[in-house]
Amino acid sequence: MSRPLAGPRLARVLAIVPYVCANPDTTVTELAERFRVPRSEIERDLALLPMCGLPPYTADRLIDVWVDDEGYVDIRLAEYFERPLRLTPAEGVALLAAARALLAVPGADPTGPLGTAVAKLEATVGVSGRIAVDVGSAPLLGALRDAVAAGERLELDYHSYARDELTTRRVDPTRVFHVLGAWYLDAFCHRAGAGRRFRVDRILAVRPTGETVPAAPPGPAPASAPSGAGVLTDLVYEPRAGDRRVELRLAPEAAWVADDLPLDARVDEADGSVRVTLAVSGDAFLERLLLRLGPAAEILGPPEVTELRRSAAARLLERYTR
Amino acid sequence: MSERLERLINLTATLLDTRRPLTLDELADRLEPGYPEELASRRRQFERDKETLRELGIPITVGPVDSLGGEIGYRILPDDYYLPDPGLDPAERAALHLAVTGVETGGVEPLDALRKLGGAEGEGAGEAVATFALPAHLDLCFDAVARRCALGFAYRGEARRLEPHGLLHRFGHWYVVGHDPDRDAIRAFRVDRIESVPTVGEADGFTVPVGTTPADYLASDPVTFGADAPVRARVLVAAERAPLVVGALGDVAVEETRADGAVVVGLDVVNIDAFRSFVLDLLDHAEVLEPPHLRADVVAWLRAQAEVAT
Repeated sequence: MSRPLAGPRLARVLAIVPYVCANPDTTVTELAERFRVPRSEIERDLALLPMCGLPPYTADRLIDVWVDDEGYVDIRLAEYFERPLRLTPAEGVALLAAARALLAVPGADPTGPLGTAVAKLEATVGVSGRIAVDVGSAPLLGALRDAVAAGERLELDYHSYARDELTTRRVDPTRVFHVLGAWYLDAFCHRAGAGRRFRVDRILAVRPTGETVPAAPPGPAPASAPSGAGVLTDLVYEPRAGDRRVELRLAPEAAWVADDLPLDARVDEADGSVRVTLAVSGDAFLERLLLRLGPAAEILGPPEVTELRRSAAARLLERYTR
Repeated sequence: MSERLERLINLTATLLDTRRPLTLDELADRLEPGYPEELASRRRQFERDKETLRELGIPITVGPVDSLGGEIGYRILPDDYYLPDPGLDPAERAALHLAVTGVETGGVEPLDALRKLGGAEGEGAGEAVATFALPAHLDLCFDAVARRCALGFAYRGEARRLEPHGLLHRFGHWYVVGHDPDRDAIRAFRVDRIESVPTVGEADGFTVPVGTTPADYLASDPVTFGADAPVRARVLVAAERAPLVVGALGDVAVEETRADGAVVVGLDVVNIDAFRSFVLDLLDHAEVLEPPHLRADVVAWLRAQAEVAT
């Protein structure tokens, strides 16, 4: 039988004692809910404590735990554990990042309980006003969130980044969420006849259709938001088997780009460069990538990609030479 | 297993309660359940216990037992252990629970933090509305901000120093911002691009200028993060892409709107590479107008790629 590790259980015990000391009317059931473990785990923790204390472990030096018939818990003789343990930097930054992010979502109330909780925590940790989270404020976010909540069908003007084209489509919005710097809309797209994921900052306009969405949206929404997407690619593109594959060698100073691309294969070379095979959804995406990387990307194949880069550069140059 | 847990609890209690550092021999004499008699395995088990406590954020101070400085002892300083009471009420704890369940950070840390603050209050959020990455070294940077410690690290192959004033998250990345003593200027560094484990200097190693917040560094877009001499650039954006660019930069960036719907936007550029990427990302829908050296940079960049022999 596998038993929990000592570390997590110790952390829980060291959190339960100060909570019970500060809240004398606590029950075993409440502790189980609050610390997200079964009642039996709390009972094991409470059974362990009376064996703990200070040398020489006489009755007056051991922690005194009393659980009455109704499950009320009382803990005495544990003065040294009556206050909780400090947050580690990793815990502090994770908690404040999450709270600050939620406060930054348009529509959040900075004067509500979350706002005051953040202010108190930051003061306690010594970082008042020193953590800032910006989740962006796409102007259409509010309208999209309202449409999801009300189940409204919308018409969107959308800029497809990969193909660099504008389209208009009717959608049934299902979810609006933020991942690593960008807002996304999941919706059933009537133009595609399937679930699609849109980047909110590429939606140019939203118009109500006056129609409401049937209770169950027709068709499955994409899976929950994956993580790991970066600035160059995004969650909108999911590579398909038929999409073009391109092989590049990225110079060491551009190797980080590989982390942000939808890769089929990746080989890290000894000199710090990276050889990648990536899936490409549209020429516009590839043009942008190659033009931005410039000499830091060597095209290994297929050969027509070299011509694609050359002609894209020439086309942009015309703006500067006419 | 539960013997070890008992010993860990007793070790923590004893080290917290003591007024002076205790040697390993003293701890072995007093603690129950005790450490092994054999010295090497005693030392090994004690080191393992110390490591477990350290991972939980319980710092053990090591120092001489007396002023003669002969023997080394251990204790936990109360100020290092106890969380100053932030005074959260139930509604605030419930709001924090909502935050850590509504924002996915890919680790268990926020829930651990919540436990120390009194556990999970309320129902929490059913579904994440936002997902964040917490890169390596972010915790070190956070600690340095909190205690005002100077940082040293490798960045783009160069040794850099920073007096960190704050952390900010923007465009999906964490930046540590502050004063660079070598360049005597404000700088922002992407935390996930830091190439070495940062060195952390003494606490209270610098003062943060009054009235500055990380939001001051959020004024504009990523082209403002960088080390190049600041210069005002003007970019012509064609009508068909104007709404996207204005949406991203804000109305304040618009310097001119032309009859055909094209706009001229102004940017304060301190990172020429990022600026060039911003312009090229718009393909043939954009053109750098000014200043001449930035226009020339884009032209030279494109020409090098247009004139490649095929």
